[in-house]
Amino acid sequence: MEKLHLHYPAGAPAAQAVLVGVVASGDLEVLIAPAAAGSCHIVIHSAADGSAARWRAQLDRLFADGQAAAMQMEINDFGATPGVVSLRLAQALEELSA
Amino acid sequence: MLKPYLPHDLLWLAPRSALATDTELPAWLPQHWHPGLPVVVRRASSRPGWIAVGVRGPLRWQRCALWARLQQVGRALSPEQVAAQQGWRQHPRLAALPALQALQQLHPALQASGLAWGITGSAGFELATGQPALGPASDLDLLLRCPQPPARAVVQALAETLAGLPCRVDIQLQTPTGGVALDEWLRGGRVLLKTASGPLLLDEPLAAWPAHRQNHVEQCP
Repeated sequence: MEKLHLHYPAGAPAAQAVLVGVVASGDLEVLIAPAAAGSCHIVIHSAADGSAARWRAQLDRLFADGQAAAMQMEINDFGATPGVVSLRLAQALEELSA
Repeated sequence: MLKPYLPHDLLWLAPRSALATDTELPAWLPQHWHPGLPVVVRRASSRPGWIAVGVRGPLRWQRCALWARLQQVGRALSPEQVAAQQGWRQHPRLAALPALQALQQLHPALQASGLAWGITGSAGFELATGQPALGPASDLDLLLRCPQPPARAVVQALAETLAGLPCRVDIQLQTPTGGVALDEWLRGGRVLLKTASGPLLLDEPLAAWPAHRQNHVEQCP
């Protein structure tokens, strides 16, 4: 079990809380709560050790530009494939801005 | 015509059979797999004469995606066949493994659902092979065959019986087009469908049962 914290700059607080995904093998759960303006804090709990570099690369692509809403994001990964991870993250951000 | 295999089926390959891989084999593979152990059919687009399989590694998140020659498949065991054997009842580690106790407790409700069901994941592997794969913290993975959309009341009742069990139980609905998590289907709204060509988000969950595929089973060509 690996726990990874990532911090990014962000914009105004997210407008709502979001939950997508499921606690199930090969899937993941993404929970988003609004945070104070300017801060995006992501905590990843992953079943797969040694996955930190992959997570960092994937989340940098989405958040490094600081344009996302300010949020606290928790990701619980149960061995999701990269395809499932991308889809779930896209789904979470889409529902956040819906 | 070779018999089609379904995702999660366990396959025993003929001795000396060739497994092919798209990437380098992980270091653990030679120590943890030999032809006496089954491989697990996984979802992937077809290659003529080959079937996409996975091999379990020593740690629960370790899997290796491989291809096996269809001609070298000896024996196959489906998740339903593993369930029908009811191997948990006589299992020497029943008292130590919450996943097997959960199976024992859930069995009447699964039978009452009227749906074909099977055991996958580490519980399925251990029951099929006798090789230890389960630990005290292991979840129980099950599948329900749903050639048509299941009656909501039936699967809702099943989901409610999961609450009091000694471990987490993941139930996947096997639709004609892929697998959907029961929890997400019951929640309403969008669902993630795992198909042979990758995961898809469905805005409308019933799209997993398109009219022309109803009553079909998803196959691994």
